[in-house]
Amino acid sequence: MGTASYQDRIVTAFTACAMFWAVLGMLAGVYVAAELVWPTINFGQPALSFGRVRTLHTTLVLFGFGVSALIGTAFYSVQRTSHVRLFAPGLAWFVFYAWQLAIVLGGCSILAGWNSGKEYAELEWPFDLAIAVAWVAFAIVFFGTIARRRMESIYISNWFYGALIIVVAMLHIVNSLAMPATLGKSYSLFAGAQDAVVQWWYGHNAVGFLLTGGFLGMLYYFLPKHAEQPIWSYRLSIVSFWAFVYTYIWAGPHHLHYHAIPEWVQSLGMVMSLILLAPSWATMVNGIMTVSAASQKLRTDPALKFIVLSLAFYGLATFEGPMLAIKSVNVFSHFTEWTIGHVHSGALGWNALITFGTFYFLVPRLAGVPLYSARLANVHFWLALAGVMLYVLAMWGAGVSQGVLWLSLDELGEVRFSFNDVMAAMKPYYLLRFVAGLVFLVGAMLMAVNLARTFAGRRTIEVAPPGSRVGAGGRT
Amino acid sequence: MTLVLFIGDMLIMAFMIAIVVWLSLRSTRAVLDAAARIPLEDEDRDG
Repeated sequence: MGTASYQDRIVTAFTACAMFWAVLGMLAGVYVAAELVWPTINFGQPALSFGRVRTLHTTLVLFGFGVSALIGTAFYSVQRTSHVRLFAPGLAWFVFYAWQLAIVLGGCSILAGWNSGKEYAELEWPFDLAIAVAWVAFAIVFFGTIARRRMESIYISNWFYGALIIVVAMLHIVNSLAMPATLGKSYSLFAGAQDAVVQWWYGHNAVGFLLTGGFLGMLYYFLPKHAEQPIWSYRLSIVSFWAFVYTYIWAGPHHLHYHAIPEWVQSLGMVMSLILLAPSWATMVNGIMTVSAASQKLRTDPALKFIVLSLAFYGLATFEGPMLAIKSVNVFSHFTEWTIGHVHSGALGWNALITFGTFYFLVPRLAGVPLYSARLANVHFWLALAGVMLYVLAMWGAGVSQGVLWLSLDELGEVRFSFNDVMAAMKPYYLLRFVAGLVFLVGAMLMAVNLARTFAGRRTIEVAPPGSRVGAGGRT
Repeated sequence: MTLVLFIGDMLIMAFMIAIVVWLSLRSTRAVLDAAARIPLEDEDRDG
């Protein structure tokens, strides 16, 4: 290996694991979607019950797929935008093994019934400690690389990845503060409404800084790289970054409208959510304008198609979120499937598609060969689009139906429809959601095969910072 | 207590916004253009 070449083996390892967790996590999601249509398929086994498999699904797709993709792409882009190799490569490999081990053992613990009861933070305290250690190691490698950079400017993608690292560390540590009772059970240090506020400060900012900020880091590096165009307005990207950081941290209380928390906190959460529309759409416009300069490439390149489609869903989800945060809308939408549809228009439409587009670009570059099948990638594109559209439409239909039925009162002011009536009305929507998830999963499986075949034909390639000398031999 | 937290946070935000405005005004067009081109000129591929 040339001493100056970038360290990309770790990027390959994270990418491979991210694809593995994507398929497994989405499979778990399709299974729980099927359980809502055919409840008996849990076969009376606690490990296959909805509560456990649904938690496994969110853990695998968020932390297995999403975070593995984020760490891998952060390691790839921070070296290049700093013109240096990774700082402390041994520590970077520690991050890889620690993170994957935490996902494997954490997933098993969820199926065994260990659960802290905090949404998107269900793993119990031993895993919380392990995650904190791995995350700090990630921070050391990332910021150490930036500290050694040979460039004057810190590129915008690194600001987003940096915000992801700092804020998620803060959220995870504070929200996980707990008193262990046994190895598999702990109790939060916060109680009642305070616990709810801390939980949704964590929950919404995990959405903000992990699923939005982190993936914007991915977008700001890989979109210009792939479009072979600089970002349309660099100044706009900086302004939208800071506006995003300032406002997002306040938006969490919109999850607790009409709950036992101060009224002004709820209203502030709503107002900050509405303000968030400005930086979100500024980013979307910046991305679309960057792509518009490479419109010829868009016609033939499946990776770029995924990235553009992800921007459209980013715009949609970041419009829908602030609307759902308006208190008068929230009366109707809260606790309905509309929220699930909103989450998935972001998670599938934005996070998964931007990652798919990035991987279709990244893996051929890591392997030093063209993509195994562009045709298969195009099939995947249409399956992904069909899957996410069907999913979102099914959940919108289900959510609006639930909202109407729940708020429907009879002449005595009593609710007109029972729980069973509402559940019976959900069956066609739940069936459609299962089909949508299956279509999306099949697309992801095709992608995994396509990328594996691409990597199987890899050849030796050295990639180094511009102007540096590369030694002979070896794979990077 | 909540009021103290709220006012404190708003003051911090005002301070950070001032830093961003200062940094934005400080950056010249040439510096921003050079920064925007970083991903386009960051690899020397061999093989």
